[in-house]
Amino acid sequence: MILTAGYQTKNGTVILGTKTWKLNKLKFAFLLFFSILVSINGYTQKVASHFHEIKGKVTNKKGEPLSNVSVSIVGTKKGTLTNNEGHFTIFISDDGSSMLEISMIGFQTKVVEVSNQTEVNVTMEEAIAGLDEVVVIGYGTQSKRNVTGSVSKVDMAKKENLPNTNVSEALRGSVAGVQVIDDGRPGQGGSILIRGPRSLSASNDPLIVLDGIIFNGSLADINPNDIQSLEVLKDASAAAIYGSRAANGVILVTSKKGTTEKPNIRVNAFNGVSDWVDKVNLFSPERYIQSKLDWRAQSGLEADPSKILTYLNKSEADNYTNGISHNPWDMASQQGKIGSYDLSISGRSKYTNYYISGELVDENGLIFNDNQKRTSVRVNIDNQIKDWLSVGINSTFAHRDLSGVSADLNNAYTNSPYGTWYYPDGEPTQFVVPEDQAYGNSVRSAILTNNEEIHDNLFSNFYAKITFPSINGLGFRVNYSPNYRWSHNYNFFRQDKHLTNNTTSAQKFDQKNFDWTLENILTYSKQFGKDHAIDFTLLYGRNHYGFESTTSTADQLSSDALGFNNLGLGSVLSNSSTAAASEGISSMFRINYRFKEKYLLTLTARRDGSSVFAVNQKYATFPSGSLAWIVSDEPFIKKISFIHMLKLRLSYGTVGNQAINPYQSLSLSSTTQYVYGDGGPTTLGVYPSSMANQDLKWETTKIANAGIDFDLFKGRLGGTLEVYNTNTSNLLVMRSIPVMTGYNSIFTNIGLVNNKGIEITLNSINIQKEKFEWSTNFVFSNNKNEIVHLYHTDANGDGKEDNDLANNWFIGHPITTYYDYVFDGIYQVGDQIPAGSKPGFVRFKDLNGDGKIDANDRAIIGSGGQPKYRIGITNIFRYGNISLSIFVNAMENWLSNFPLLNTAVSPNAPGRGLNQLDAGYWTSENKSATRPSLVYNNPLSAGWYVSRDFVRIQDVSLSYQFSKKTLDKFKMSNLRVFMSGKNLFNFTKWPGSDPESGGISPSNLYPMARTITLGVNVGF
Amino acid sequence: MKSLRIFLNFKTLISGCKILALVFLFGSCKKNLLDEKPLGSLSSDIVLTNNAGFQNSLVGLSQSAREEMTMDDQTYIMNFIGTDEVSAAGVEFTFYKDYNTYLNPTTREVNNIWNWAYTKMILEANTIIVYANKPESKSIWATDAERNAVIAEARFYRAYTYNLLANTYGGVPLVDTLYSGPKSDFVRSTRKQIYEFAAADLQFASKWLPPTMAKSKEGRIVKAAADHLLSEVYISLGEYDSSIESANRVINSGLYHIMTTRFGSQKDQPGDVFSDLFRDGNQNRSSGNMESIYVWQFEPFTVGGGGSQGGNTQVRQWGPFLTKVLAPDGKAMLVSDSLGRGTGPCRGTNYLLYGIWAGNFNTDMRNSIYNMRRTFYYNNPASTYFGQQVGIRSSQEDTMRNIYPYPRKVEGKPWNNINTSGRTAKDVMVFRLAETYLLRAEAYFRKGMLQNAADDINVLRNRAGATPVLPADVTLDYILDERARELITEEPRRRTLTRMGNLVERVRKYNLLEITRTTIQDKHEFFPIPQTAIDANFSAKLEQNTGY
Repeated sequence: MILTAGYQTKNGTVILGTKTWKLNKLKFAFLLFFSILVSINGYTQKVASHFHEIKGKVTNKKGEPLSNVSVSIVGTKKGTLTNNEGHFTIFISDDGSSMLEISMIGFQTKVVEVSNQTEVNVTMEEAIAGLDEVVVIGYGTQSKRNVTGSVSKVDMAKKENLPNTNVSEALRGSVAGVQVIDDGRPGQGGSILIRGPRSLSASNDPLIVLDGIIFNGSLADINPNDIQSLEVLKDASAAAIYGSRAANGVILVTSKKGTTEKPNIRVNAFNGVSDWVDKVNLFSPERYIQSKLDWRAQSGLEADPSKILTYLNKSEADNYTNGISHNPWDMASQQGKIGSYDLSISGRSKYTNYYISGELVDENGLIFNDNQKRTSVRVNIDNQIKDWLSVGINSTFAHRDLSGVSADLNNAYTNSPYGTWYYPDGEPTQFVVPEDQAYGNSVRSAILTNNEEIHDNLFSNFYAKITFPSINGLGFRVNYSPNYRWSHNYNFFRQDKHLTNNTTSAQKFDQKNFDWTLENILTYSKQFGKDHAIDFTLLYGRNHYGFESTTSTADQLSSDALGFNNLGLGSVLSNSSTAAASEGISSMFRINYRFKEKYLLTLTARRDGSSVFAVNQKYATFPSGSLAWIVSDEPFIKKISFIHMLKLRLSYGTVGNQAINPYQSLSLSSTTQYVYGDGGPTTLGVYPSSMANQDLKWETTKIANAGIDFDLFKGRLGGTLEVYNTNTSNLLVMRSIPVMTGYNSIFTNIGLVNNKGIEITLNSINIQKEKFEWSTNFVFSNNKNEIVHLYHTDANGDGKEDNDLANNWFIGHPITTYYDYVFDGIYQVGDQIPAGSKPGFVRFKDLNGDGKIDANDRAIIGSGGQPKYRIGITNIFRYGNISLSIFVNAMENWLSNFPLLNTAVSPNAPGRGLNQLDAGYWTSENKSATRPSLVYNNPLSAGWYVSRDFVRIQDVSLSYQFSKKTLDKFKMSNLRVFMSGKNLFNFTKWPGSDPESGGISPSNLYPMARTITLGVNVGF
Repeated sequence: MKSLRIFLNFKTLISGCKILALVFLFGSCKKNLLDEKPLGSLSSDIVLTNNAGFQNSLVGLSQSAREEMTMDDQTYIMNFIGTDEVSAAGVEFTFYKDYNTYLNPTTREVNNIWNWAYTKMILEANTIIVYANKPESKSIWATDAERNAVIAEARFYRAYTYNLLANTYGGVPLVDTLYSGPKSDFVRSTRKQIYEFAAADLQFASKWLPPTMAKSKEGRIVKAAADHLLSEVYISLGEYDSSIESANRVINSGLYHIMTTRFGSQKDQPGDVFSDLFRDGNQNRSSGNMESIYVWQFEPFTVGGGGSQGGNTQVRQWGPFLTKVLAPDGKAMLVSDSLGRGTGPCRGTNYLLYGIWAGNFNTDMRNSIYNMRRTFYYNNPASTYFGQQVGIRSSQEDTMRNIYPYPRKVEGKPWNNINTSGRTAKDVMVFRLAETYLLRAEAYFRKGMLQNAADDINVLRNRAGATPVLPADVTLDYILDERARELITEEPRRRTLTRMGNLVERVRKYNLLEITRTTIQDKHEFFPIPQTAIDANFSAKLEQNTGY
């Protein structure tokens, strides 16, 4: 209804929207919003005659008006809020004096005595930074002082000098217990792990809540410049209000608002170049030649260096003779570049608060054709329509263009340094060594494919807020948040001019997602006398998730003139499509109770229903409770001068995980095709593809959390110390089952997993002089993960619960545990060597001493998946207008299998014209004790376990803030230039490209980019 | 303004103290809101409610059955490599070279075959059988015969799979039903029980399958396929009379005969009747091939015409790596449409390439130039040796990998016209009448009826123009030799040898490589049970085969 009304109203402002962004959806949002703005005008105020009227204005120290400040008459139920202008009107009885209490989160509460005056102007003092800042909690905001749960805030203002194009990069290393895994490719969202993995196979991704609404899109769709703050909810008390979705923690993303009456125009731009931090070490041309000779010698073949030309493939030999060699990584690379340009306008007028921004990001990754272009726009507008009503919209549209097929790393890894990548006419070859066709040319597909990959995301929240004049403290908010995402991926592979067969094929993939959330939130705040205060929140909501997609392919096109635009030119056509949807229903309540403003209690409960679970398991309830005690407000602590603030927190509660796809509790079938007879048509086949699980239900995590927040020495040393113990039961797991059941695996609930950990955050101001300041932020976390129960079975009757070898799950060990043969060195000449082995082969420990190595000789090697310790240290030095920030990120004590350390990956390298990792190898001259010979083919398929520990100089940023004098001269409000470096140095023994993301297969070896950028931050 | 009015209405609503009503406005949800009905996926409960659904499920089985060859690049060739017929003799190959290190409970094919059998073939067959037998399915069928024909085809595939498992792993867990939850206490049935189960399935299949298929349905299972396989299963059970009887039902049906005159797509081109059996388009019965009983269908340029790995993979596996052969002027041979792109893992043993032809080398049609490629010509026009025959080679790499004789049964038109694909579009005969004769000959021999055995073998030898065998000369080894001559590339040799119990003995005798001959041990007669199956089955012990 609102939409129709809005669309009919047009005015000049709308033109701005349409001209600037020629995007229909956005235009629609603009029209809608500005029409609401324009169509609703002034209002009249009720005047009561039998009371004495007091008008007033509340401002901050800068004289800026404060809205939504609570003004109440002490000892009565009467009260009001200030409007956008900071004005309030209240009526007090004429008999004698009254006390007005003026309070707002983030500010120190004031009590003002009034008697006969008709006007009171109040200046609010901002609460001291640190513990008294305002934080966003689920479905509301709160003074940090009053928060009882574990909430960590990332202030994005501190990240402004960093060339982050993705929100997850800002989180990296800045919050204790948070790990960010980012594969270094442009346009990828990165994944985030809060307090380690707890689910075995359901998603471990935290819930992203954007401006109060659960966000199902990619983090890559969010412009980090638009973000005011990120809050990470870690314990049950904080997260339980998101109930079924909160098991992996919650990240609240809050976008910016207008803050000053004077419009603020801000430009943030940076440009940079990237290169490789490190290249995965493949055989160099010289080592490649040597490895062929050594491999021949070890294979019992003639290995005469003078005959190397006859040992190489003919085409390789020709290149060798002509002195032509390449680094295959270079052949698959391009110059990495990054450019980001962001413009925002924000401000607040009488009834309106607005923030409008536009952004363009253009990134070229290090791998050929691995590019992203993102344009996004955001409009946040909040309108005070009546003193009791405000409506608003937060809306963002992002357009991500990931077009272009990037070079194939799997091929790059195996391409011979003596390969030929291009024909003389500039066309790419099919195989760099045409005699050996096991792997193709790494860039052929990138060059021959015309690819268009676009992801669009329109995310909006339309809301109305009502405060009830008749009942002081009662508020109501309704949110309707549609999220429309549509993406397509079109490919056209053109004719290879050097082949005679028709190589053309085209494919179009289109997907549409439509999600929506509808929420009704009722809030009530009340102060009872001097000592008691409550906040009450009640929510009822529904959400829907749905998508549909279509894939059409055409092979053997009769012409390549039309690319992917006319699939009808294909002689072999096929289509497929799918769709899925899920529904959710939620209700929630929360009570915050404060006694004497220093004893705090929060109780929450959420009940969720989700369609993705089995018929009788749709609903679950998630309660939580927490207590906090502001110790520093006690008289006996106040005497201790160095304690400025000290708070103890304790919480316990449950959260759930429903992060599985729809229909997993059902037995489903898939389709296939077959062609009977000769020249016959395609016939459809159907086969069962998944096993039903009629008991599939929520995964439930119980979290106990204790925390201490402190601020010492007048703010010189502050921080948080937190310990937690979580038990996750009914884990949602994709469990491998005996295939004799007909299925490899089933989604099911099992067992119990425990996570224990400690998190420390310290902020210190080490030196604070007028000209020079040095501050340090230190975050440390340790998480211990352990499987407590699996299936409660004891088949072998040893009195201990059975482990599950097929899934590598062991009672008492972490989820990611490596169970394998134990490496015991390399057989050397003269050793007693069993049949089948020879010098240069790996020796394994015969654990049971039965004289042979078999499945009974496997043991637990160690664990991985997450580090034991995560450490982030940021040092900020400021000297006058110059500041330097250095952020070091480290993760220690974890392992991973790195299968590329196999020397002979039968039947391919190293005997053929293929390259591979050069991690050294055994020869009869160089008798390595750790690396096998080139003919060792790893018959037991044992893993190679290496440390993923690393220390990285993650971000270094140097900025210069121009002085007020200069700014005034240019009529600017802000001017800062900065230079920064990302991933400057990485200290690790990891043989892959990035220990943090841990890619172990060639196709995942995307390089980590060292990026140097230069940027400017301008405000008018 | 309209919008204002709307907001006023909104206000009225609120001032009317309808807050709770508003809160629950969207909450009066229907009870079934959270019920799931898949939007884009089918299920057996939906599909198997009419005959068309059962027919679609049988198509699914046809596709899964073809996957035995096309599931991946390597699994199917384990039927040949490391037997008496074939070695992967190229230097860098490891397949079944050193049996000690190659064949163990984590070897790829050991897992692949097992997984394919249980998660594709047996599951799909059991689904059809269980649903077709449900009382509530009764109304679907016009007649019992209609229902039984559906069940019969599913039971054929189930029997085919169990027989394959028993001839690979020995006794395996017997699954004849559907499970609705995880189960981890499987135990192995005996090998005999598996054969008995397969025999029961095949008896039913033989009774209810149709004798022939329309041209448009060629590739579906006919009665003779069940009888052919039953003949083999009865030998495994030691029931030779029943075996002979089953083979008789095929041979005496009047529907099949050994081809003795030229036919099919290239009958007017140089060749012989044996080569006609293996030319493009000549595998289905409608081409005139009266030996064809069960055929995997391949169809290029058509959706569903190939499996996971595209077309027929034989040429890639059996063809030598000719592009590595250099002419004396250094110019390499080229991939061509007639030779395909071999990679040379199936290098015939001397037994296969020479030994079995002794005495009839030039007379046995099956060793003719149309059926064995023994000469090669430089095909690179850039070479001055273009068109000249490739001379004798002596290096290990050339003779073991790059150039060696191979059966031309594997040749065919390149898949989707891509010469480098290493695949062809040619259909594959799984069962052929010639093998039915050899199965009956084996049953006769085992019964001591040597004359009948010799007669059956001589049906094939006479067609091939080879010297007839004398009854006194028929032995199991002779039957295996004849199988090699007649069925090379067609019979899964490893399974035949395991069935007959002489894999180890014959590998020691005939394999090309010393390392293979000396490392094979008695335990290698059977594949090990996959370690993953043992590990996952933690509620009961799934016994490993002795020695592994």
